[in-house]
Amino acid sequence: MFDRRLLIYFNWGFFGLVLSLVCVGIVTLYSAVAVGTAGPPSTLYIKQITWYGIGLFILAIVFMIDYRYFDRWAYVVYGACLILLAAVLLFGRYGGGSKRWLGFGPVHLQPSELVKIAVVFVLAHYYSRVMEPRGLTLRELIKPIILVGLPFVLIVKQPDLGTAMLVVLIAASITVFVKIEWKTLIFFIFAGAGSAAMAWLFFLKSYQKQRIMTFLDPNRDPLGTGYHIIQSKIAVGSGRISGKGLFQGTQNTLSFIPEQHTDFIFSVWAEEVGFIGSACVILAFMILIIWGLRIAHECRDPFGTTLSVGVTAMIFWQVVINIGMIMGLMPVVGMPLPFISYGGSSIVAVIVCVGILLNVSTRRFIARDGQVIG
Amino acid sequence: MKSERRKRQRRIAISGALFALVFAVICGRAVYLQVFRGPWLNQQAVHEYEKSLQRLGKRGAIYDASGREMAFSIDVTSIAAYPGRAASAPDTARALTRVLDVDVEEIRQRLDSKRSFVWIKRQASPREADAVRSLKLAGVDFIPEHSRFYPNRTLAAQMLGFTGIDGRGLEGLEFYYDAYLKGGAGKFTVLKDALGRGFDLERTEVPDYGGRNLVLTIDKTVQFITEEALREGVAKSGASSGMAIVMSPATGQVLALAHYPFFNPNAFARFDRNLWRNRAVTDPFEPGSTTKIFTAAAAIEHGGCRRDTIFFCEDGAYRVGDYRIHDTSPHGWLTLENIIKYSSNIGAVKVGEMIGPEILYRTLRNFGFGDKTGIDCPGEAPGSLPPFRRWSKAHTGTISYGHGMSSTAIQLITAVCAIANDGVLMKPYIVQAVTDRQGRPIERFGPRKVRQAISGATASVIRGMMRGVVTEAGTGGRAALNGYAVCGKTGTAQKIDESGAYAGGKYIASFVGFAPAARPAAAILVIIDEPTSEYYGGLVAAPVFRRIAQEVLNYLNVSPKYGPNQLTALKKGEESG
Repeated sequence: MFDRRLLIYFNWGFFGLVLSLVCVGIVTLYSAVAVGTAGPPSTLYIKQITWYGIGLFILAIVFMIDYRYFDRWAYVVYGACLILLAAVLLFGRYGGGSKRWLGFGPVHLQPSELVKIAVVFVLAHYYSRVMEPRGLTLRELIKPIILVGLPFVLIVKQPDLGTAMLVVLIAASITVFVKIEWKTLIFFIFAGAGSAAMAWLFFLKSYQKQRIMTFLDPNRDPLGTGYHIIQSKIAVGSGRISGKGLFQGTQNTLSFIPEQHTDFIFSVWAEEVGFIGSACVILAFMILIIWGLRIAHECRDPFGTTLSVGVTAMIFWQVVINIGMIMGLMPVVGMPLPFISYGGSSIVAVIVCVGILLNVSTRRFIARDGQVIG
Repeated sequence: MKSERRKRQRRIAISGALFALVFAVICGRAVYLQVFRGPWLNQQAVHEYEKSLQRLGKRGAIYDASGREMAFSIDVTSIAAYPGRAASAPDTARALTRVLDVDVEEIRQRLDSKRSFVWIKRQASPREADAVRSLKLAGVDFIPEHSRFYPNRTLAAQMLGFTGIDGRGLEGLEFYYDAYLKGGAGKFTVLKDALGRGFDLERTEVPDYGGRNLVLTIDKTVQFITEEALREGVAKSGASSGMAIVMSPATGQVLALAHYPFFNPNAFARFDRNLWRNRAVTDPFEPGSTTKIFTAAAAIEHGGCRRDTIFFCEDGAYRVGDYRIHDTSPHGWLTLENIIKYSSNIGAVKVGEMIGPEILYRTLRNFGFGDKTGIDCPGEAPGSLPPFRRWSKAHTGTISYGHGMSSTAIQLITAVCAIANDGVLMKPYIVQAVTDRQGRPIERFGPRKVRQAISGATASVIRGMMRGVVTEAGTGGRAALNGYAVCGKTGTAQKIDESGAYAGGKYIASFVGFAPAARPAAAILVIIDEPTSEYYGGLVAAPVFRRIAQEVLNYLNVSPKYGPNQLTALKKGEESG
């Protein structure tokens, strides 16, 4: 049953890189919750370690199943995720002004994290069959738009605009990668700009507009919405080159950093280990992304390639948006940093991505004959 | 198939380049924030988390002339709370009330307040602080403070004054010399968190910015003697209150400054605020007959009178303007000396009429009436002595025997000291030195001559007259001492009520004098307010003077010149000088 070649071809380097990021995550989370004066309960990091454990178990499962089963079962996975999303709107739990979680006993699942992967599955499934050198036409894009649109609407309803936009970004990345006709691309750029204007005028809630305005000028409201950006920049900058020392960050331990264990956890790291530390983590993420693309590069079949590019893009956008937000390059959106921010669903989702990449990577020689193994 | 894969691979490479570019931007941003903007942003961070705290150093002590403590500060602990950090306001409040004598409801409300810092109990006892410490309550903190302590309790309370709970001098010397006594502001930084709560107070490293000490001219023993005698005198005469001052005539040093009733500055809030005042300095009164010695001084210095110049005393009743002036017992012709001896009002008026308002006014001014003495006490009143051009005929008459003007007790004793001190008016003072923490003097205050009020010869004549007062026949016979010749003058003034009219039956009885007559070591003023048994200064105040003088001269080791038997011979005619 178990193919020995799975071990021989296992991508230890990639896995090791992920494990080192996980270690950074545990240390930083410990600093964010267990050191200092106030904030979230200090045992959160133990919960997080549990989630890493669960994540590794799921990674093993995802790894064992040949990825071509994902191709086959893509719509089933997608459908299941849509049902969960619908269930969130019906039975979901409120938290922070929106309905994002489904409760299963002690475990709270955030289906929007999983739906990102499902969208990658169905798009890879669809595009791997319609790829043409001339690029995709508008007609061929109707189906993907529907496939992305459904979860997008459901997530916006929660409301969780950050994740909804992320789904669109991932989908767009895959689509552009697969190649679109030039005129279609231009059409979408104008359509996108138009709908952004429409959204600003009609759909965005005032707090969302506030965030964007504040991003443009944080000092507009230094104690309100600008507080996050200002405090985050101060924390990052005050780390300077070598940092204040692990667990010694004043902005972290004295609770100046907002959301220091979730979205803004990177400022804790940057403050305490300085530019050297933050550059290491940024570099590690970059290597991870390039490595993901390399896996796509080495893959021989269109589905595996598109799938790898999709999950890589997913990690890429989350990292870029999160760190960009922390450094004041982007407006504040709720976006966890993969591997490092606290949050069970987000950890599991990103580890599933890693599992998919390892899966594709390991089977790059095995699956030559098109025969499904697993 | 092959070429399609190659194309895909090319697109992957392009994607990789784009992704890497984005990461390069982020890395560049990290360089900008952490390397270039780092120092500035770090400064911003410091602004946020550093809080500069100020703590006053320990207040200086107050010592008497022999270095005995009159006031000092002790280290105490105050219990405070950071409401945001307390677990539960009701629980914490209940736990605190179990060990502290505080109201549970009030503490609960304080803990519920939105402020970041509240006091639970200021200046708690060490036992209370330890009890609260052992509770290990979240959000409860202990702040070291200083508490003022007056070891002699009521002794010299009105003069010393007291401090508020924050260690600022509020009354008396504590107020007047606050700038010296108060501890310097020790500045140090603590960390504070986003909610403004402070942490990591390195209390042991707070440098000691202690205040300066005061060394008084007051002698604790003399003060005690004075207060005891005063208390007894007030009680015996059924008076409402009293004051007494002991002063060194040659220097102007105040040796004792006593008020009765007493109050305890350790618990000043429990006493009537009217008792806090240093009335000897702040409250003027009509000095009455004691002023006659200054009228006599004016007559001798400028009026061409001698001690045996005679005046007709109208057999006890005399009309000046609208006033009818009486003597206690009618006299015919009296020498100037006897006018003082018997304290004849009519005689004093006649003297005043003879010398005229200008000479009387100028002499009284030379003795310091109408001006603050400049004593180092807060709230000194100048008294009132209207300019002579505004005096009516009646005014000249009444001022000659101390009515229609006012003076504080310290002014009166200071003026009398000038007579004892060969006519030289000295500035009275209470603090003789300021010392640092180690007791080294930083500033010294010595005797300061104000002016020659009258000539030494005149002063000598007046002293002779004052000797006559303290004889069997004089009004102040009860002030006579064993072994010392006493110069003195009695005073009995009717009090003015609120409407400005003389209140029937309310008197201020006084006696002022000094001893030994030949070389005065101590001048003493005793004022008994509203005595009920008797009201003559010679009956009510003179015995108090006697007791103070006797004990103080003994204490000061002034050698008695005359035995009790020789005293009578002395009265008969020996000149003092």
